[in-house]
Parts: sequence; C-alpha cells; structure tokens
Amino acid sequence: MIMSKYFERQLEELHVQLITLGSYCEKAISLSAKAISAAQNEEMARQVFDTDRDIDAKEREIENLCMSLLLHQHPVARDLREISAALKMVSDMERIGDQAADIADLSLYIAKNATSIPETITKMAEDTVTMVTESVDSFVKSDLELCRNVIRNDDLVDDAFNEIKSKLADMIYGGNLDAKTGLDLLMTAKYFERIGDHAVNIAEWVEYSITGVHRNNEHQNN
Amino acid sequence: MLVCALVLAVGLAAVMGILYNDFDGQMRKELSKEALYLAYGVEQQGVDYLKNIKDKNSRITYIDQDGTVIYDNKADAAEMENHSNRKEFQKAEKYGVGESSRYSDTLSEKTIYYAQRLKDGTVLRVSGTQDSVLALVGNLVLPLVLVLFLMLILSGIMASVISKRIVKPVNELDLEHPEENQIYEELSPLLSKIHRQNREIQNQLELAKQQQAEFSLITENMQEGLIVIDKYTMILSANSSAWSLFRVDKVSQGESVYCLDRAEDFRHAIEQVLGGEHAELILKLNGSDIQLIANPVVRGQKTEGAVILLVNVTEKLERENLRREFSANVSHELKTPLTSISGFAEIMQDGLVREEDIPKFAERIYKESQRLLQLVEDVIQISQLDEEKTSYTWEPVDVYQVCKNAFESLKEKAQSMNVHLYICGDSMKMEAVRTLLEEAVYNVCDNAIKYNRNDGSVSVFLTQTAHEIQIVVKDTGVGIPREDQDRVFERFYRVDKSHSKEIGGTGLGLSIVKHAVGTLKGSVILRSEEGCGTEICMKFPKTHVE
Repeated sequence: MIMSKYFERQLEELHVQLITLGSYCEKAISLSAKAISAAQNEEMARQVFDTDRDIDAKEREIENLCMSLLLHQHPVARDLREISAALKMVSDMERIGDQAADIADLSLYIAKNATSIPETITKMAEDTVTMVTESVDSFVKSDLELCRNVIRNDDLVDDAFNEIKSKLADMIYGGNLDAKTGLDLLMTAKYFERIGDHAVNIAEWVEYSITGVHRNNEHQNN
Repeated sequence: MLVCALVLAVGLAAVMGILYNDFDGQMRKELSKEALYLAYGVEQQGVDYLKNIKDKNSRITYIDQDGTVIYDNKADAAEMENHSNRKEFQKAEKYGVGESSRYSDTLSEKTIYYAQRLKDGTVLRVSGTQDSVLALVGNLVLPLVLVLFLMLILSGIMASVISKRIVKPVNELDLEHPEENQIYEELSPLLSKIHRQNREIQNQLELAKQQQAEFSLITENMQEGLIVIDKYTMILSANSSAWSLFRVDKVSQGESVYCLDRAEDFRHAIEQVLGGEHAELILKLNGSDIQLIANPVVRGQKTEGAVILLVNVTEKLERENLRREFSANVSHELKTPLTSISGFAEIMQDGLVREEDIPKFAERIYKESQRLLQLVEDVIQISQLDEEKTSYTWEPVDVYQVCKNAFESLKEKAQSMNVHLYICGDSMKMEAVRTLLEEAVYNVCDNAIKYNRNDGSVSVFLTQTAHEIQIVVKDTGVGIPREDQDRVFERFYRVDKSHSKEIGGTGLGLSIVKHAVGTLKGSVILRSEEGCGTEICMKFPKTHVE
C-alpha cells in the first residue's frame, strides 16, 4: 500500500515535470519565433539559449526519473505506457529546444541582413507555436481530440514550408533577396517544419499513452 | 482442550487412588475369609484338604510351627526356605492372625499375605497378588488414551456447537439499532453504550457534513476562484469560479495545478508559495487580468500546501486606467486656459500692452476664464454623477417640456450659427430625475448645434410606446467618423483635436449624457455618417423601478 502510494506520487511527479518541460519548450519556441521578426533580438536569443539549457537539464532529470520508476517499480499496463511514452516525449521536446536555439541563432544573422521577413514564415512560426502548445495541452489534459488535431495540422506546416521554399527561390532569382539570407530563412523554415514534426510525435505518444495503440504500429498491423 | 486433558488427568489420579485403596481393603478381606475357611478345612481334614483344592488363583502355603513349609500349592514345599522370619508368620504366631504385603521386584505387583494360626500351632498362609498403581495405570493407559481421544473429539464438536449457538445471536446483532435486539441480558449495557456512541458518531458526522456543505456553498458562490493545493502541487479542492477562470470544464481533483496553467510566472509563484512565502501576481488569462494571491499553509515548520485565491481584476484595472487618464486629462484641460490667462495677465502687468488693446485682452481673459469655469462645472457634474447619489428625486417629468426648455436656452447659440431647431412630438410624461434628464437633452442638443453646418437643422423626435419613451436628436452636422464612434462617450475625447478650441466645449458633454442616461436606466445609441449628420437615440423606461 505504502509502496503503491509512493509509486503514484512518483508518477504524479513525472507528470508535473513533463508539464514543466513542455512549458519550457513553449517558451523557447515562441521566443525564437518572435526573435526572427524582431529587430533587437539579442536579448530574446539569449533567453532562448538559456531555456534550451534548462530543457536539456530537465530532460536528463525526467529520463532519470523514468528509469528509476521502470527499475524499481516494474510498472505494467497503463503506467508502463505512460512512462515509456514520457521517455519518448522528452527526447522530442529536447529536440524542439535544440531547434528553437538554432532558430534563435539564425535570427541573429537574419535580423542584420534581411529587410523584411516574408509573411508566410511568420505565419508558419505562429502555426508551429500553436502546434507545440496544443501537443503539450493534449498531454496535460489527456485530450485525445486535441492531439489528433495536432497530428492533422502537420500538413499545414509542411505545405507552408514548400510554399516558402518556392517563394524564397523566386525572390533570390528575382534579385530581391540576398542569397545568403535566403538560405538562412530557408533553414529557419525547415527548423520550424521539423519542430512541427516533433510536436506531431509528441501528440502521437500522447495518443499512445491514452489508447495503447501507436500510429506507426497500427499501420504495420493493417 | 488443555483444560479437558488436565481435568481428566487429575480425575484419573484421584480415581486411581481411591480405587486402589478400595481394592486393597477388599482383597485383604477376601484373603482373611478364605484363610478362615481353609483353616477350618485343614483342621478337619489335614493337609490333604489343601491338596484337593484345584483352584490356583491364590497361593496357599501351609507352614509348620517352626517355619518349615509343609505344603504350597504353587511350588515344591521341599525346596522352599524356612518361613519363620516372615512378618505375617510371626504375627500369626503371636496374635493368631498376621498380615503383610510386599512389592515384587518390578514393583508392578503387590502381594498381600494373610496368615492364620491353626489350633495346632501351624500356620496357614493365603496370599493374593494385586497389580500396583503403576501397573494399574499401565493397563489403563490404552483405553484411557482412547477415551481421552474420543473425549477430545467430542468436546471439540460440543464446544464448537455450543459456542456457535452462543455467538450466533451476537453475530446477528443489528449494530445500527442496538437497543432493539433481544439478546443476553449481560450484553445490554454494551449495546446501550454502542447505541450512545452510534448517536454521537451520527451527530458528529452530520455536523461535519453540514460544515462541509456550508463551506462548499460559500466557495461555490464566491466570485473569486479558490484553489487548495498540497505540497506536491496537486489540487485538493477548487471551486467552480476557479475552473471557469482557467476555462477548464473538467473538474479534475488530484491533478497538478500546472495542468491549469503552466506559464512561467505562474510556476514561479507556485514554487515560491510552496517554499513558504506569500506570492502575488497578475496573470493574463484569455484576455482578462487575474490577480493571484497565494498563501502557504504551514504546519509546524513545514509547508504542507497552499491556498490560492484568484480575483478577476480586469475591470478594476480598466477603471483605474480610466481614472488615471481622466485626472491626466483634467489637469491638462485645466492648464490650457489657465496658461493663456496667466500669459495675458503677465503681459498686461509688465505694461507691454497698449491702452487701447486692454479691452481686447480682457475679453480674451474673460473668455478663457469662462471656458475654465465651464470645464470645472462639467468636471463637478461628472464627478457628482460618478458618486451615484441615491438622493435623486424621481418625479413625473414632461419630456416635451424638457426639450423645449433646452431649445429655449440654446436659441441664441443656434441663431448665431444659423441652425434651425425643430421638435416633433406630443407632451409625454415619464418618471425621471429632472436635472439629469435636462442635462442629457441639453448636452445632446448643444452638441448637435455646435457641430452643425451653416443653415443646418437640429430635429428632436419624441415617440412613446407602452413602457418606453424615445428621444431622437438628429442633426445635419459634420458627423462622427466610424472609428471614433465608439470613443466619443469617453471623457475628454474629441474627434477633431485641432479645431476643438474654436468650437469650444470641454469634451465632457457626451460623457455626461452617457452617465445621466445610465443613471436614468435608459440607453443611448449613436448613428452617424461623416459629413451627413449624427443621430443620437435615447430610450428611457417610463416608470422608475428601484
């Protein structure tokens, strides 16, 4: 009884830690999204780097907690699903943090060179931030509907990336944009697209921890 | 069982003791009788009599006076030793009868000898063997163990049956209503005690329930959100206001408070409060400002949790903002005419003004001070309205008359601007505060004239329904741009900032109208098109309800 209570306490702790990590990610990505379109962005970029460090530390912490839970408590069924999903989710979240830091890094160059940021990129950044927020939300609330929504939204971001790619190509070809900056912008868009993918991954793991079926496996079985 | 066995053992010992003594006595008696009969026989027939006795149950020995054995029915007399030293023999020689008993080597048998002296001095000895106590016990052990075993089983069954029968009514006791049970009298004090305790528990439970209900009633009816969390940030309880503030419809007890909001400031505040410090911050949630006040719950030296109070301060902050703007505006508006006045006065003081210009300057000073006066009056009026005096006197007021009065006092102004005034409607009465209604109508009409064009017109239409009176003031003036239409009721707000001085006015007119109409429980709608004119429609209920 005491043991199970302790276990429950640790599971709750895991949940809280994941929420915290999720909110770090949200902070990092929304800051980096702001940083690309802001003029004075050194401070923002610095904050993103700091947050990325926090994210890494938190990821390590959560991983340790998961491992200790797996080894000491031998969880089964839903608990096991939740812990293994958490293990997968933290690595996605950590990647989001890294990519947010990369975007912040690029934003420093972009701010110096680009005269204006194509609106599609800002829009894409907003969409990606929404996706991350929603995927974390779906985890926090165990909301199946919301996490399926995130998975559907991935196409939006993917399409946006393709659009930006051709647009940038046109701009560079037309001489409206410095090729170097254009590439930086393309990279930024790519990072956002990747972050979108990670958000989808998180949503998929949330779905798995709720239903017990992961999308990829489902496809294999069918 | 143990008791049973013990009783059995003790009983056995006692019985054995008694029985043994009894056996002993009986045996001696029998032996003495037998000896007597035999002695009689021997005296009659001599030793042959003994030889004829075939019964070998008891040993018969015939001993001569000197102790030599003459006959023995179980052994060869010739081989037997002299018996003169035997106790029973010596006793018999002495007293006529003698008796003694001896244990055999193994102690398992006891031999009782009985000797009888015959008339000729010879002694006849009869002896019988008897099992000693130990042997007796030895013989009895097997049946006894059997009996014991049987008894054990039997007593076991009996005990279980009996105890079941005793316990059955006890088990069937209705503890909810202990006093209604028909059971052993011995239990009734216990039952009445249980009854008392039941009642006590019930009372306390009800009290606790009532308190709980009261508490939840209070928290549920609180406008403020209340959340109680434990030291692991888990929600212990939260009222519905809290849920609605966070836009969470699922009442999820036992979840982390971070599920409600995971913003950084919020997390910091929670961490701070769980660290044992009071925390306060303004959260921005879904467009409203929410003040969060968190206090730690400390038991002993440790923080056991926290109580979080959430107050929606959006309106408060807005009002504060308005007030700040208002005072800034007031001081600014007051300063403008005062600067002119003091400037003109200063020039005149320094004697820089020519004699003939003085009336012109005086007029300017007079105009500015009039403006200042008007402004102060307006401010006083609006602050009076702000105070929401309850001492208004509600009386039947003729709306037509009010409009007419307003036009009367504005006639000159209208004439000077060449604006025509029309009233369309009949006399109609409503319950209102006369001054407020006059104020509202006057200000609307004043604006309609002020912002009119040359040869324009201001028309007032009065209509009524069963419950409402509608006053529509229509002008042919400059109109109000669409983007400003929402703001013209704000204090000191002016559509055209640069020309406001020429037209005059304080920027408080419509604000006063809005306030007055609000106090009269009416509503005001503004319709306007730039360049074509403005229509202000005021609706009032005919009767006043407190």
